Amino acid sequence: MDVGRHPNINLLAYSEVEKVEGQAGDFRVTVRKKPRYVDESKCTGCGACAEKCPTVTSDEYNLGLGKAKAIYKYFAQGIPSAYTIDATICRNFQPGKKCGICQKVCQAGAIDYKQEAKIFELSVGAIIAATGYDLFDARRIPEYGYGRIRNVITALEFERFLSASGPTHGHVYRVTDLAAQEALPEMEKVCQKAVKGLERYEKQFSMTSDEFYGRYESGEFKGGNEEYDKWAAAVVAARKATAELEVLQKKVESIESAHRLAFIQCVGSRDIRFNKYCSGFCCMHAIKEAIIAREHDRDAQVYIFGMDIRAVGKGFEEYRNRGAKEAGVHYIRSRVAEITEGKNHTPIIWYEDTKERVVRQMPVDLVILSTACQPSASTRRVAELLGIELNEFGFYKTASYPPLDTTRPGIFICGCAHSPMDIPESVAQASSAAARAAQVLAGSGTMRLAS
Amino acid sequence: MNRDVLVIGGGIAGIQASLDLAEMGIKVHLVERLPSIGGRMAQLDKTFPTNDCAL
Amino acid sequence: MSEHTEKTMKPDVLEARIGVFVCHCGSNIAGYLDCEALTKYAATLPRVVYAKNNLYTCSEAGIAEIKNAIEQRGLTRVVVASCSPRTHMPLFKSACAEAGLNPYLFEMANIRDQCSWVHMQQREGAQEKAMDLIRMAVAKAAFLEPQQDIESSLVRKALVIGGGVAGMSAAIAMADVGIDVVLVEKEAELGGLLRRINRLAPKGEKAEDLVRDLVQLVLSKENLKTMLESEVTGVGGVIGNYEVSIRNGNGLEIQEMVGSIVVATGAVPLQPHGLFGYNGQNVITQIELEEKLRSGELNARNVVMIQCVGARSPERTYCSRVCCLTAVKNALYIKEMHPDAHVHILYRDIQMYGAENEKLLWDARGRGVRFDVYDVGRPPVVKEGAVELYRPLMGEVEEIPCDLVILSTPLVAPENTPALANLMRISIDQNNFFLEAHAKLRPLDFATDGIFLCGTARYPATVCEAQAQGLGAASRAETVLFKEKLVASALISQVTDLCDGCGYCVDLCPYNALSLEEYERDGHIYKRNKVDKMLCKGCGVCAATCPKGGVVVCGFTRNQLQAQVDAALEAM
Repeated sequence: MDVGRHPNINLLAYSEVEKVEGQAGDFRVTVRKKPRYVDESKCTGCGACAEKCPTVTSDEYNLGLGKAKAIYKYFAQGIPSAYTIDATICRNFQPGKKCGICQKVCQAGAIDYKQEAKIFELSVGAIIAATGYDLFDARRIPEYGYGRIRNVITALEFERFLSASGPTHGHVYRVTDLAAQEALPEMEKVCQKAVKGLERYEKQFSMTSDEFYGRYESGEFKGGNEEYDKWAAAVVAARKATAELEVLQKKVESIESAHRLAFIQCVGSRDIRFNKYCSGFCCMHAIKEAIIAREHDRDAQVYIFGMDIRAVGKGFEEYRNRGAKEAGVHYIRSRVAEITEGKNHTPIIWYEDTKERVVRQMPVDLVILSTACQPSASTRRVAELLGIELNEFGFYKTASYPPLDTTRPGIFICGCAHSPMDIPESVAQASSAAARAAQVLAGSGTMRLAS
Repeated sequence: MNRDVLVIGGGIAGIQASLDLAEMGIKVHLVERLPSIGGRMAQLDKTFPTNDCAL
Repeated sequence: MSEHTEKTMKPDVLEARIGVFVCHCGSNIAGYLDCEALTKYAATLPRVVYAKNNLYTCSEAGIAEIKNAIEQRGLTRVVVASCSPRTHMPLFKSACAEAGLNPYLFEMANIRDQCSWVHMQQREGAQEKAMDLIRMAVAKAAFLEPQQDIESSLVRKALVIGGGVAGMSAAIAMADVGIDVVLVEKEAELGGLLRRINRLAPKGEKAEDLVRDLVQLVLSKENLKTMLESEVTGVGGVIGNYEVSIRNGNGLEIQEMVGSIVVATGAVPLQPHGLFGYNGQNVITQIELEEKLRSGELNARNVVMIQCVGARSPERTYCSRVCCLTAVKNALYIKEMHPDAHVHILYRDIQMYGAENEKLLWDARGRGVRFDVYDVGRPPVVKEGAVELYRPLMGEVEEIPCDLVILSTPLVAPENTPALANLMRISIDQNNFFLEAHAKLRPLDFATDGIFLCGTARYPATVCEAQAQGLGAASRAETVLFKEKLVASALISQVTDLCDGCGYCVDLCPYNALSLEEYERDGHIYKRNKVDKMLCKGCGVCAATCPKGGVVVCGFTRNQLQAQVDAALEAM
């Protein structure tokens, strides 16, 4: 909240840096503010537009697990709170189509389909690049089945499951069960429609469908009215739909929350095929999710498969022990070989028990992949813009001392754009980069190791 | 010497750097690619060990 | 409201003109509560002269409505029923101030976080609860009193305690931006633990080069005063104006006034007496190995390193973060010095977190350093000329011949940490490391304003991390020191005439904001409580403790709370 309101902060959201010239103490920066098609100063963030918007898409913030509209707010407490139109899907922006509903419902008059990108020129003395990270695409490891086995998800997707503001309001279900739950209302509609469709014939011929079909089957209405054949086909369809609905209903009724959870560590990290490095925070992330899952469900059984459990931060080792003691988390030292799909969409984990040197398998309800932290897509682009180098891992190249200086004076970095790290370290580094920037503005700031 | 700083990225690191500089009295331009700031941390439900959110 | 209270009300309360603004918060509130009805209800409450609902009270339009109503309807109190005061109180208060109303005459009812969000499934009950919350806020609002923010001046000068890499980096950064700095180091030389280290992981710079460069920078700054062989012996005062006593190398006490303090007192490696046959000769610690590597006098050819010696154990539960990195780094330097040497690292989890560190692990494996996990239930045994490693897989004990055993011991807090913490009234954790204000979001701040933390005084850290934190702490201190003045909320404790100086509250105050003072009345000496306005956070522990109403918190006085409670009970 402070950021949005601080008098010294000029917040340029939905914007990108286009060009940087000059040197430390005197950079000239060109920034392009993309059109939201919503006037930020007028939009109150009330959400009436999104409620009425007819274009539904999947929700990027909830990693595609939820639904969003073509006019959207990235997340509920987002700053700025203004909505944004996704012109790639909004009807109003498709050739030959029209809509305009959001403009009609917006009481603040904030919708502006003609809004254009704005170009700003800024003069700054120092630059801090905090371009964050992307997560490893787990599809790149086919043996783990992500994208193919539906009950294999990523740790960030699981985070959304655990969240009260997420798509399941904090309940943990198997993805396939969730799909069944979501399919139920649609199936009910289909079934109702099919049954209702029979009424017309029943009225027309003053006969119940069951009676008719029995007689039709015995050959009574053969070769006669075409309507009889249509009716018969409709009865078959309605019976099929009812049967399917019953199966689905039973299935949904018997759905329990996912109890057996397995975390797979180092998915795409500490792996010579992808990223050799350790992503640092995933062990603690898995333990945290395990503990919260246990808080939500006392019957949850949680297994964490990893080579080492790296609990190196302040209070982390204690947290890991708490995970074992209070939440009953089982830590299994192993690199998982493969995940296969058993009956009823059950993922099965194949792993070597390194203590007993035997290959074992374990069926679970949900597999959660701790995917690697990778340099963000923006990092490469921003590095080119700023004229700074990347290191062998694709993160920004820095000096060791002081640790956040890039290869170009006056430009600093912090957080996971530097290397994988947890939140407190990111925050500490951010302050550190701020101190370096302040030194540059003060006309000093050479702290390089001379040798 | 120019008294402004450009911060690229509105995640937790970019936010913290901006706030520190702003509190020192330095004008900050915070550029974020997405429609709102918050970054990855906004996607986290709870953070260890205090279970509260960032923003 | 009971008649009794009506009669005893001051005119200001009786004549209060209250405006109530009910916020829909889009559909966050209006989706679950009937805001129109709430507004109509608010209009019926005592002393409410204006009630209005808005789609978004925090929007520009909503703020303008508050200001207009204050000016045109002569409101003397404003109540907003919306979200959390934590996020939006400052905005609404400033709206009041801009319209000429004292901002302390503002009250908030949280009908979103504490009502519509948590009772989405129980609409009727939620509606009633929202009415209760609004009625309570209105009742309290009548009793609000105007206050003035507390302002104080500050000294643009910082004290840095500890002259290691973190402390020196903090001091240089602050000196560079024009802040006067006093750097206090207890040893005769700057550099701290860095002076005992050989090379720095992961890139291999010489520690002595870094120390030399940093010391040079420290000495080159005119506004940076370094005091060696010195110790902080007293800290008084508050943020902006700390009075510090320092005993210098000659045993003289020197006084300094500073606005902010950076704690960078470092940590020391544990001496593992009684563990794994430690003898300082052929069973030594990593830091002792560093010294051998630095002087080049290492002759051993068969080296076994044992990790987690005295760490991750019942008496010291934490992982010391840097020992695995140190062990792998030193293993590589042993191999560099004697390529035919055997180095064997026995570990529990190999903690090479992050990008560069993990790479060292790959390098070490590539160069033939051996790694084996040991069972914490049956740890290695150090014998003459060998280390016995239990292998659970085979149920066998393997003898690893060696002529040198290196014990990786954790960094521990210096012995005087609790005493120093006490001096500054800051907290330490169960391991005697200094305790930050918030583990995630404020890693370099203390709960006490104006004091900051960095380096291994907080928790074990690499040299690189310690320097980053040192610079970070400088930034945090600069956010205080660059202010023209300090402004604090007036909602703090106030001593009343009923205080008889019993002192119950003084010991309980978590911020040490209370003390007893003597005063004279009618020729007699009495005692009473005194509040330090900059230290007090208005938490209310004192007011809750006092049996006689001798101390109250402004904004939460007895009659204000009473009015609120009465209003709550009205519904029963």
